[in-house]
Amino acid sequence: MTISVPELLVRDGFLARTDREKIEALAIATEQSFIKVALGQGYISRKNYGRSLNNAGYEFQPVRDEAFDVDVLKHITLIFADAHMALPLRIENGKVVTLMADPSDRLFVDFVKMTYNLDAEIVVADDLEITRLSHILLGGEYVKSAVFDLLNKDPNSSALTTFTNPQLIIFFLLLALFAVGAVLHFKAVMVIVNIIMSVFFLVAIIFKLFLALVGSRFELYQAVTKHELAHAHNDQMPVYTILLPVYKEDKLIKKLIWNLQSIDYPREKLDVKLLIEEGDDQTLNAVRNLDFPGVFDVVIVPYHQPKTKPKACNYGLRFARGKYLTIYDAEDVPDSDQLKKVVTLFNKLPEQYICVQSALNYFNRNENFLTRMFTLEYSFWFDYMLPGLDTLDIPIPLGGTSNHFKLDALLELGAWDPFNVTEDADLGVRAYAKGYKVALVNSTTYEEANNEPINWIRQRSRWIKGYMQTYLVHMRNPARLIRKIGIRGFLGFNFFVGATPITFLFYPILLIIFLIYVIFDISSIKLLFPDWVLFVSIFNLMVGNILMIYVNMMAVFKRRFYELILFAIANPIYWLLHSAAAYMGLYQLVVKPFYWEKTNHGLSKVNSATNVIK
Amino acid sequence: MHKRTLYLIILTLLLAAYYLFLGIYLHNIGYHNQESLFYAEKNKILFEGIGNRLKVMGLTSPILPFYGSTIFSYKNFLLGPVFASAIGTAILFFIMARTLTKRSHDDYYMLILLILFALHPGLLYTACSGKSIYLVLICLFQFFYHILRYYKSNTTFHVSIASIFLVVLVFCDYKFIWLTLFFIPLVLFIATQSMNLSETETVFRLVQSFNTPALRRKLINKTFAIYIIIFLLPLASIAIFKMLNLTHANDLDYFLDSPYATWTVLADRLGFEQATSFAHYQSSQISPLVTASIALYCPMIIIAIYLFRHNTYQILTIAAPFGFVEFLQIKYDKIFLSQEYFLIFLILSLLCVVFRGHRHENQRMMKTLLTATVIVQLFAGFFFLKNSFIDEEREFITTLIHSSPNNGQVENKEMASFLDTLPNDQQIMMDDAVAYPVIAFTHHVQRLTLPYQETYLSASEAPEHYVNYILIATDRNPLTGYTQLNNKYLPAIHKSDSNVNLQKVYETDNWVLYKVL
Repeated sequence: MTISVPELLVRDGFLARTDREKIEALAIATEQSFIKVALGQGYISRKNYGRSLNNAGYEFQPVRDEAFDVDVLKHITLIFADAHMALPLRIENGKVVTLMADPSDRLFVDFVKMTYNLDAEIVVADDLEITRLSHILLGGEYVKSAVFDLLNKDPNSSALTTFTNPQLIIFFLLLALFAVGAVLHFKAVMVIVNIIMSVFFLVAIIFKLFLALVGSRFELYQAVTKHELAHAHNDQMPVYTILLPVYKEDKLIKKLIWNLQSIDYPREKLDVKLLIEEGDDQTLNAVRNLDFPGVFDVVIVPYHQPKTKPKACNYGLRFARGKYLTIYDAEDVPDSDQLKKVVTLFNKLPEQYICVQSALNYFNRNENFLTRMFTLEYSFWFDYMLPGLDTLDIPIPLGGTSNHFKLDALLELGAWDPFNVTEDADLGVRAYAKGYKVALVNSTTYEEANNEPINWIRQRSRWIKGYMQTYLVHMRNPARLIRKIGIRGFLGFNFFVGATPITFLFYPILLIIFLIYVIFDISSIKLLFPDWVLFVSIFNLMVGNILMIYVNMMAVFKRRFYELILFAIANPIYWLLHSAAAYMGLYQLVVKPFYWEKTNHGLSKVNSATNVIK
Repeated sequence: MHKRTLYLIILTLLLAAYYLFLGIYLHNIGYHNQESLFYAEKNKILFEGIGNRLKVMGLTSPILPFYGSTIFSYKNFLLGPVFASAIGTAILFFIMARTLTKRSHDDYYMLILLILFALHPGLLYTACSGKSIYLVLICLFQFFYHILRYYKSNTTFHVSIASIFLVVLVFCDYKFIWLTLFFIPLVLFIATQSMNLSETETVFRLVQSFNTPALRRKLINKTFAIYIIIFLLPLASIAIFKMLNLTHANDLDYFLDSPYATWTVLADRLGFEQATSFAHYQSSQISPLVTASIALYCPMIIIAIYLFRHNTYQILTIAAPFGFVEFLQIKYDKIFLSQEYFLIFLILSLLCVVFRGHRHENQRMMKTLLTATVIVQLFAGFFFLKNSFIDEEREFITTLIHSSPNNGQVENKEMASFLDTLPNDQQIMMDDAVAYPVIAFTHHVQRLTLPYQETYLSASEAPEHYVNYILIATDRNPLTGYTQLNNKYLPAIHKSDSNVNLQKVYETDNWVLYKVL
């Protein structure tokens, strides 16, 4: 080769000379190859890179079926191969057959020569294919570590075992007690069950109202002010890793990468990892077909059960370079200043704050009934409930995305539990148990609200199942949990994480009892409801519903989504959907606890405008 | 704890002790009122009664003051409401004083507050009578406080807390539901003002908003949203409560109209009938000068209006209760305005002074004016109570000032004492719609057959099978027309069953106790 790839790209006009210098400096600083930086930091698109190499007479070879030699592979680490987009495969005809995205990468050619004592026979291939092969062939240890690290480090916090023996014994004992009691004293047992349910609902309603009021009190509080943000200079910003776990999101890739361009953060300090599952060629092809440069690296997650998002994130974590790390979903549109706000906030907060959660909301809120209800729910959750928990110093179940971590603390915690399907909620409790704190930032990430009922129920069943898993994991030893998170945290955890699925499971039962009470003979029902229990039950039904509707209204009022305010009245119907999802989640908890109900994204017809904060 | 907060707590405790001392003293020399006796009777049923108590538990009205008295009724039913009002008024003082200390460190304003709470006859009546005024005043203060805060901060928190307090207020005194009427135009005004428009004059802003489709949509959405946030909770709560009345008492307005559910039905009618029966009856409350009499009762309200003279929202907000009280005069023309409706202006004016008084540029003038109005208000409070058309209010001040025993309930106590002497296994039928004061003074509610029990209906038709005694209201009893168990009952029962024989065993002016033979 007479001309190097950097020179070629400059000559073809795809790269400015100044950019080349920047890339070379960055490549040295980050110990990556020129081409990795050029493609990963958005200096050149893959299309133009391929075009330039084609013009120079190179043709990308298909490499998927290339033979490989394990003895050759064991001399190279995945990190190095990935950093150079190159991979030695086998020795053939006295040469090392080496896949390279940049055939002019002298450093890698020298590495091959020195390591194997043979010259390299360079096969030029598509960078994505080389990356894919590198991860599949060399990522075995990494993926095992992603799956089993937490289990080995802290088996009590892993959801691999869904029900422990003592939990099963207690459950069946209670069931037996109920059955025997019902046979011997049906009325008395049903009264006791009624009392428990009524008191439980009453406390849960009051607790939620209290949380909402506490949360709403700090409505005007700005964790990071405009003034502080104005003083956040680019050169003081640390490297920031963004993990983007995607699975069959080919329709959304273009939008996702485009949205990331609008993030107000120095490009060279962004370390974006697009995590694609091994068998997901749809998404990989979509990335290959992007016709504009994007700031992201592709990481292929090798096949390993369980096939969950936390496993993919744990895997991606092994390649993260940032001081801070966050996760976005494929359809996310974060406020453009979010990362800077988080860095500013971390700088202000004491050391024990290891995570900052942004609010989530929906860009397609007015699409249909479901998206409106979802927006009501999320507005309430992120604007009132979480600030309420935060103020009361109760563990915060983190949201699925837009939670920003200190990388070292995240690693120390053992990262996400790959066996837990709401790994975020679980991580929030684990962090709290270790004495760490979570803060909330005044920045919002807009997502796509699920607009299709079956898809919604699938997604919600996973969330509720995850809450059940999280509850079971942390309640294996209640005394230990109290010691770790205190009595207030314990009660908060029980009423927030534990009560959520139980409430949705009870809701249709109580509704049926109410309908029977209304339609049929009242006197027979009264046998099971002593006066004051009936009073509490009626209070729950009437006042509880009204209050829950009202707090939802408050949340959209705060967001100035005035057009949604009346939809809060439809909450009792929306809760029935929750109940359906809760029963589905309960069933899955028993039969396939680690199964990840995939939510289909990209169904919305509404355009997600980038959310540039001025 | 902050030093000032500690002092405040100590001051509040002393005030509570002072109120309790006065309340117990008045109770001991015989001062009682219909409301506290009604609560005492219902609490007795709640704690000691036998039978279906759900209706008593859930439909007694006003429900929240009733629950307030329940908390303190564990040991002594008659003193329970007095404890509630004494401690509640002390809490009102604490809330107001705490609001003040957060905004100003000038002890003068605290002194004013303390003087009024310690000496103002209206506030003493609130604290020592066992009535529910304390809860009304607490909620009213909180409602207006959060509304004023909302104007300033525009936060959902304040508007929703205001709404919650409006709900509590309505469940303390249903008449306050009419207050919402006077907020309807105000909300439109607030929404118009909050629009981002070039015009400054309200009328022009309104014209501009209505003539531009996008602005019109925005204005309507916002106005509607504020209406919902403020009024949904009270309206929905009332609708639900009415539905519960319908399902459990077959009457939507049971809690308003039934003498079994609320004390006001008979007390208001009786009070008005008695007052208007005098030939020389003439009420200033009938005249259109209620607003003027409020200004006389509470001149501090004029200072309050002056303090907010540059803030249209706030002025309109302060004006709303005036409209409300005038409206009550028209709507409930057969009921006298009780002390409670005058006291709301005292609390409102204090709130405004707490909010703005310390910020006035001429503090000397402000303090002089306030001192003068406080003195006037102390005398006006005395004058208004002394000349009230409501017996209980007049009796309160005369009993307090003269320390003379009050004999208002002597007869009821006498009958109750006799009932207590009856053997334990004897059942006495009585109608608590009118006889609740007698029940409040008895000690054995299990012996009584009352309308909340399922056996009452059968007992009233065939007393010989169910009860041993019947308490009848005599013709002299002013409430005889409001109960089935009056002198007309006896011939009626004889007519349906000639075997029933009744023997008079004890008689007072208003009551006769018959033994069923």
